[in-house]
Amino acid sequence: MRLPSSRIKALALAILGCGFLVACGDPDQRALRDMPVFCQEVLPAVEAHMERFDQPTGERYGGTAVVGGLGELTGGMNSLVTPEHMARQHQEFMNLMTLVQVDGELDYRPRLARDWEFDPEVGELTFHLRDDVFWHDGRPTTAHDVAFTYLRAADPSTGFFSMSSWEPYVGGADAVEVLDDHTVRFQVEPHAEPLEIWRLLAIMPRHLLEDVPPAELREHPYGTRCPVGNGPFVFQEHRPDASWSFVRNPAFPDELGGPPYLERYVYRIIPEQGTLLTELLTGSVDVYLAPNPDASSRIQEHDGARLLDFDFREYVAVVWNSRRPELQDPRVRRALTLGVNRQEIIDATLAGFGDVANAGVPPFHWAHHAGLADSLRHDPDEARRLLDEAGWMVRGADGIREDPEGRPLEITVSYNMGNQQRQDIAQIMQSQLAQIGVGVQPDGVEWGTFVGEMTSPDRRNFDGAVLSIITALHVSDYDQFHSTSVDQPMGLSGVVDEELDQLLDTLQVVVDREEAIPLWHRYQERVVALQPYTYFFFPRRLAGVSERLQGVEMDVRGDLMSVADWWIPAQERRRP
Amino acid sequence: MVGYIVRRLLAAIPLVLGVATIVFFVVHLAPGDPASLYIAPGVSPEAVEQVRQNMGLDRPVYERYVRWMGAMLQGDFGVSFSRNQPVRDVIVQILPNTLLLSFSALILAFGAGILIGVVQAVRQNSFTDGALSVGSLFFYSMPSFWLALMLILVFSLYARNVWGWPIWFPASGMVSVDHHAMGAWEQVLDRARHLVLPAVSLALVLAAGVARYTRGSMLEVIRQDYIRTARAKGLPERTVIFKHALRNALIPVVTLLGLYLPVLFSGTVVIETVFAWPGMGKLMVDSIFQRDYPVVMAGALVFAVMVVLGNLMADLLYAAVDPRIRYE
Repeated sequence: MRLPSSRIKALALAILGCGFLVACGDPDQRALRDMPVFCQEVLPAVEAHMERFDQPTGERYGGTAVVGGLGELTGGMNSLVTPEHMARQHQEFMNLMTLVQVDGELDYRPRLARDWEFDPEVGELTFHLRDDVFWHDGRPTTAHDVAFTYLRAADPSTGFFSMSSWEPYVGGADAVEVLDDHTVRFQVEPHAEPLEIWRLLAIMPRHLLEDVPPAELREHPYGTRCPVGNGPFVFQEHRPDASWSFVRNPAFPDELGGPPYLERYVYRIIPEQGTLLTELLTGSVDVYLAPNPDASSRIQEHDGARLLDFDFREYVAVVWNSRRPELQDPRVRRALTLGVNRQEIIDATLAGFGDVANAGVPPFHWAHHAGLADSLRHDPDEARRLLDEAGWMVRGADGIREDPEGRPLEITVSYNMGNQQRQDIAQIMQSQLAQIGVGVQPDGVEWGTFVGEMTSPDRRNFDGAVLSIITALHVSDYDQFHSTSVDQPMGLSGVVDEELDQLLDTLQVVVDREEAIPLWHRYQERVVALQPYTYFFFPRRLAGVSERLQGVEMDVRGDLMSVADWWIPAQERRRP
Repeated sequence: MVGYIVRRLLAAIPLVLGVATIVFFVVHLAPGDPASLYIAPGVSPEAVEQVRQNMGLDRPVYERYVRWMGAMLQGDFGVSFSRNQPVRDVIVQILPNTLLLSFSALILAFGAGILIGVVQAVRQNSFTDGALSVGSLFFYSMPSFWLALMLILVFSLYARNVWGWPIWFPASGMVSVDHHAMGAWEQVLDRARHLVLPAVSLALVLAAGVARYTRGSMLEVIRQDYIRTARAKGLPERTVIFKHALRNALIPVVTLLGLYLPVLFSGTVVIETVFAWPGMGKLMVDSIFQRDYPVVMAGALVFAVMVVLGNLMADLLYAAVDPRIRYE
């Protein structure tokens, strides 16, 4: 039989189309073809090592969980170069291990370190490591890896994001001493939280990265193409801007919880909130990280999903630039705070998922000063009185206050363009502060420009700026409010105060919490008095979770803190 | 013909280099720098300065330009600031995704648009013509992000959760998470299912424009004497329309191909974001916000090359549809 030429053409086109669909954009094939030499060497070693172990069996073992987030895991699994929040969570709870972790009370607990000794008198911090943790290529994790991680992180060429954490570490490279394969000692000056950096910084494999010059670590394929970790999940694949996949580490020590229940974990990058919500509601993703509060009711109403809300380490505030003449007087800044109804802002922008903030220490934290709740309650009359007292009077018909020289009290409140929440806050401020005679001009600025104009010490081109700050579990405002930081990037407000300096200096070194609590309370009272920021709220972090995913717990420690305990009933699993 | 193509390609080189130069200076002279995005509480100024040095941002702009141009001419686009990967690797991984989406949308837009335009012209002033005109204008004037969200709402969320349709389309991504566990045929279908909504979102707006052009062009052609002659010879109407009229009517429509390519690439910015399609459009937008200079410059270069090639392709298609046109 002879086919007509038109049919042959159609058939050829169909085959070509299918081939196009398969080949064009097939990340698997491209990944194999384009792997850097480093990856071609390490990934087969990981695969070979993992094949030596039997997968655990049991009712809960198996299945794939899909987590949807808005952005890439910038910097990937390289803990030395990335400050990005979600990337660090994947390092800490999935692919890598930190020396210590914290419990629900924020007390330090063992992780890679079996135990430790800190002698503040001698200034020695000694970690005793577990001997049953192995890199995913089979090499043991040892004290040499810890020392290597410290040395690279403390090397300025690496550009480690938290260099200031090493200030108490005496002598740079001399601060570390490997006593044996599983014991490492650091020389540390007295410090309030000597362990905190070891909760943040995941240990990196010396045997793979020792030969990489520090300045080249950022671009090394280890981070984004072929990380080799030692945590409960083994890196499987990274598709740029699309997904990260990890599979269970069957050799993860039982004492640390053993192998995770999930066989596979996929983090999908879905940058549009509406699309991400749809994917949760249709069951294509199991966890929707940090949904907008306005999506909360849709998630709560849906039968197949539940909404988790929990403490988070973020606060939203307006930074006042006290270098500007109209914002120099603390009474003016206090009046601006009293003139704003912050609870109303929480209700309007967070659907109620937030707590009013008065200073930067969050409510879950042991140092939080609950007694400040009434000190900055919305009080327009008091705000007007303070402005009168500071010499800003209503003199004209427009209702805007002026100083004795006739200069109007008009300020610009900047926010990064595209951030709806911050835009809403600026606009609500405009409306509420007009009632006390203060003119506010909201000003949306492109993000890169916004950051540059605020943080560049020789510019500081803003009056007020709405921003959010994610604090560490070890709260420290040193780089924001200490006088030595005024000309540093984070010295945004320019407020200088001797008592603040003394408190910040002391709080850096007080180890005993009972002793530190009254100091922390006094510190927060002083911040309230000076009002360098108008603190708005501590938003609660939200997560939409599919009903089929069990064992999910989230709190201030992180969205992924319980990921090794997540499980999916057998009848509700996807293909692995 | 070959000589013509070579001449066009050679003439494009200064154009592309000019685009690259303009983009370089526009990007570098914009306020803000990539290292400042690392600034946060607890991040030491020394670390930010070190990052700036590691990125080479401590050197003067002209020196960076000379270095970048020299490296680029040797095929080295540098290292992405935000992705910590060689830019070449990033583009190699992401460009095929955009090509797949763009060309699918292009084929869909021209296929559907030409068909609708022909139907409208053949049935001029009928109810069908009016309805298709209203439909075309509706899609032509709709913002693509709204259209994309509506398609997700109807064909993904409601089709699956509310109406229980047997066929629904995924709202995001290029493949399912269990793609690797599928058979070959299932993988093709999976990829096609993921392609439907983004390609349709991109194509609908373009198809509406193509339909308007085709209708106008066809109306002119079918009034020509040679069409009347073809009908008088007793040829079937289908042959008259598709063989004699359409080929001539397509000449102005082919012009659209060159014009639509830049529109298509800019359209991918929104569509790729809404559908979480890991492509060049989204890459460029993210990189601009993150001041990832190497990626922005390489991406602009890639887009410039694609537009130049698209226009060349449109010119060559003229010759294919109109035998009177010959390139010497």
